[in-house]
Order: sequence, then C-alpha cells, then structure tokens
Amino acid sequence: MAASKCTRLTGVLSRQLLDSVDSVLFDCDGVIWRGDQAIPGAPEVINSLKKNGKRVFFVTNNSTKTRQMYADKLGKLGFDASADEVFGTAYCSAVYLKNVCKLDGKVYLIGSNAMRQELEGVGIRPVGVGPDPVSGVQKDWANVPLDNEVRAVLVGFDEHFSYMKLNRALQYLCNPDCQFVGTNTDTRLPLEGGKAVPGTGCLLRAVETAAQRKAQVVGKPNIFMFECVASQFGLDPERCLMVGDRLDTDIMLGSNCGLKTLLTLTGVSTVAEAEANQKCECPQRQKMVPDYYIESIADILPALQA
Amino acid sequence: MAGGGGGCVTLGGAQIRDLLDSKHNVLFDCDGVIWNGETAVTGAPEVVSLLKQRGKRVFFVTNNCTRPRENYVQKFSRLGFADVAEEEIFSSAYCSAAYLRDVARLQGKVYVIGCGGVMKELRDAGVPVAEEEDAEPGASIYTCPLDPDVKAVLVGYDENFTFMKLAKACCYLRSSECLFLATDPDPWHPLRGGRVTPGSGSLTAALETASSRKATVIGKPSCFMFDCIASQFGLDPARSLMIGDRLETDVLFGSNCGLTTVLTLTGVSTLQEALAFRDSQEPQQKHCAPDYVMESVADFLQALEE
Repeated sequence: MAASKCTRLTGVLSRQLLDSVDSVLFDCDGVIWRGDQAIPGAPEVINSLKKNGKRVFFVTNNSTKTRQMYADKLGKLGFDASADEVFGTAYCSAVYLKNVCKLDGKVYLIGSNAMRQELEGVGIRPVGVGPDPVSGVQKDWANVPLDNEVRAVLVGFDEHFSYMKLNRALQYLCNPDCQFVGTNTDTRLPLEGGKAVPGTGCLLRAVETAAQRKAQVVGKPNIFMFECVASQFGLDPERCLMVGDRLDTDIMLGSNCGLKTLLTLTGVSTVAEAEANQKCECPQRQKMVPDYYIESIADILPALQA
Repeated sequence: MAGGGGGCVTLGGAQIRDLLDSKHNVLFDCDGVIWNGETAVTGAPEVVSLLKQRGKRVFFVTNNCTRPRENYVQKFSRLGFADVAEEEIFSSAYCSAAYLRDVARLQGKVYVIGCGGVMKELRDAGVPVAEEEDAEPGASIYTCPLDPDVKAVLVGYDENFTFMKLAKACCYLRSSECLFLATDPDPWHPLRGGRVTPGSGSLTAALETASSRKATVIGKPSCFMFDCIASQFGLDPARSLMIGDRLETDVLFGSNCGLTTVLTLTGVSTLQEALAFRDSQEPQQKHCAPDYVMESVADFLQALEE
C-alpha cells in the first residue's frame, strides 16, 4: 500500500501501480458500466490489461444475475470476459451457504431466479422464489406451513418482496438454529437507463427488524467476496488492485483484504468524501480512503498502451 | 407517591390503593394488558368499571393500527367491558390521522402503506388519501406514475405490502417537503400461542433504509399519542398512570411523557427484562424500567373493591 493515500493517479504512477500488481478486481456498476452502457474506454482497458498479462475479475454486490448472465452482458458491451471471472452475490451467497454455513438442507429464498439457479448449481434446494401474495387472515399467518427441511433464510434482491414473504422468513427465523444470510446491504439497486430502485439493504432491514436478528452479509465490504476469488485463483493480496466507485463497499473491501485500492469517479463516491474520511481519526473511516483516485478507468489506457 | 425512578417495585395491597389515590388518569395499553387476542385478562373489565366509578378517567392507548376506533368499541363490548366510549380509545391509526390533520395541517394527499384501519381513520378525519391504481398488466416498478398532490407518506402494518409500494413511497420521499410518518415502531406483534407476525416497524425500517430518512413515529414510545389525549382532555402527567406490558414501548412511553409507569406481566415483557433495564448504565435503557410491577391488572381489584 502507498505510504501516502488518496493520491491522484497520473501517467507515471499508473505505470508503477500496474507493474506492482498481477490481478485487477473491478466493481461493475459505476466503474465499467452504467446500466446497460459501458463507460467509454472501459472495454479497451480490461482487454488491454489482459493483453498485458494481468488477470481480471469482476466483483459485484448485485444479486440479480448469474455468472453466465454477467458474462453475456460483458460480452455484449465489448469486454473480453468469461463466467468464471465473475463474482456476483448470487453466486457467492450460494458458495457461502455451502462452504461457510455448511448448509445441510433447504434454504428459504427471498430473491431472484438467478439466485435460485446459483443455489441449485451448488446443490442447495431453495423454496419460496416468485410471487407470494397474502391469503387467509392474520391468525393464519403464524401458522403458514413451514418446510421442515429449511435450515437457512437467504435474502437478496426480490421484486416480488411482500408481507407474506417477510412473514414466512420471520417464522423460519424464530428458530435460532435457522441460519440467516443476506447478499448485501446496498440501499439502492441501479437499473438500466440510469434509474434506481430500493435495494436489497431495505428488504434485509425489514427481515432483520421483524426477526430482531442480524444477518450474515456476504457482499462487499465483507472479505468473503475476495476470499471466494482468491481461493479459486490463488491470489496474493499484495499483488492485487481493487477498482471501485464506492468508498463504503469497494474501497473498504480492498482495505479489509490488504489490496491496493483505486477509486474511480464515474459512480457514487467523490474525492471530497474520501478526503473527509482521511482527516477523520476513526479507524473505520480510515478504511474508506483509497490509495489512488482517477476520473475514469479509461484514463489508465495510455499507461497500458505505452 | 412520586412518579419516576424506574425502580421495578412490586406493589402490595395498601401501596396499590395509595398509588390509585394519587392519580386521576389511568392509561391502559390493550394487547397483553386488558386482553390477549379475543380473551379478556381475568378481572380487567371489573377494574376498568371500578376505576370509572371511583371518578378516574380511563384511556386506552394502543399501537395497533389495524382497526378503526369503532371496531375497538365493539371488541370492548364483546369482551365484557361495559361502556367504553370511542373517545376513550387512542390507537396509532387514529392518532396518525389526527397528527396529519391538526399538527402537520396537511395540504395535499397522503400516500399510505397501511391497512383498512388506517384508511378509515384518515377518511373519518377528512385527510385525503392518494388512490392506489390497480396494477395494469404492463406496470412495473420502473414505470408507475406519481400523484403530484402527495405531500406525506404514512407507513404502518400492511398485509398487502409489496416492493412496488416501497418503490413508490421512496419516490415520494425524495422531496424534502414530503412528510414521513410511521404509525408505530413495533417490529413484530404477538399472536396466539407465542407466535409472532411482522409489525409496522419492519416495513418502516425498509422505507427508512430506501429513502435515507427517519420517520416521525406517532405511536409509543413517542409522546404524540399522549399529546393527542392531553389536547382533548387536559391531562396532568403527574396525575397520570401508564399501564403496559411492553418495556420498550409502553414503559418508555410513560417515562418519556412524565407518567408513573406500571408493567403487568400478562403480556410480552418479563420481570427479568425489567430488572435488566433498571440495572443498565445506559440512560435510554433505564427509561424502559417501570416504576412498579404487577402480575396482572387484576391486582388493582382488591384496592378498588374496598
């Protein structure tokens, strides 16, 4: 890590930074694309990194797509990428339930079909996906039939979220042995066309509040997302660069894992916020200070092509 | 007997009489205090009648926002409580409507996430409610229209809660001029047999997270319900007693409003929990410790029958 922090990444520094790492991990929304549009120059950067012998990975908190769906989107936007380089929370949550929770049984899923597919891909059977409107009267709801093979509740983004789903999750979570996992805590979900809707964090807060329990959260800044990549590809943290647009998820993940960190300004966080964190005594906020910042990742291109 | 102190004192016969003599107004929570579900707590109807015969004013203060007041009148009658008038009943639904009409003096409509009880109280108070359009076949969370007359959002228990409602409410709350109210903070409600169902608090948590705004909460432990009663009946807090079963709502409410507080053990909270609050170092937690503890409101009977 650089001795000084929050430094603007200029041409010379870019070259030095790139020489000091073997792998580059990119967040997606606000870094390489916005909605369904690639950030200009981003495909060229990723493709150029690979030509320069660097490994490239995509690490996103978005749980609405499988690895293959992301690979398809990346391909469509001109990025040279394959499914096994993508680490979204749909996939990582499935791996987490399997390997960390050692789940032996089913999971009650508040989430997408993509999450269902990734769970089935690791041999876990989810129940509950899809619309679930309320029926009956209030005194029936505490007695909704529960599947007694369910051993965990997993909450991700779900446009079919409803009171009934919240109720079912609560009934399962009344059993303290039932595990409770959330994909991420982001409060907004970016959409195609630049809009945004309430994110998974909102749904997770509803379930946590009703159950008076805290979920284990898989997504950034939890180090699990990095460990997932590192364990499959044998990464050395000191030779890794994390590139993101959010100080509280991407940069914090980098700090937590001992990676070099680069903030790009094409997304959520600003240099002013980073500098404010830098001035703060609080250790948590110090973790949200990037080593470097850059206007857009396209600005690295000259250093790559030199 | 001085109020305050939060000492969790268990009251005996003569002390109960002294306590009642020093108070003119008695405020009861309902669920877990005077009834459980559809069953009156033994002795509760007699206690209420005798208090009134002794010249005390009796009020019922409930966070339950699912019924309009006239339904409560019917429930009181059904469970054997004689002559409980609508004017004596203060529910969070009624008080939310009163707040919008009298305190906020709302000019415009309110967008409601709530159930029939809240809707009826708003209509009775003359507060315009934004109509919920029927979902058209092509409607999605990304395209639904907003009503320009909406100047407030009210969130409470809603068995028909959906992601669409969350997204819509969040859009309205983007304007800082739009008021943000919640009927009550209860994360869950007890049902028969020790079961629970998600409460208003869980839905409010989702919306607060989505909007990055904090709701103004009408229900206990906020003082507004007491202010509502006091504005209609001129109550002196020093001469008022609050009897409840939930430490974090009823007792904290009483404490916040300067009332003497009694915990009854026929509902949610236990003596052990009360003592833990009493012995806590944190001021906020100490305010959840009741002045007095009783097994049940029936303990008042002996003092009242003499």
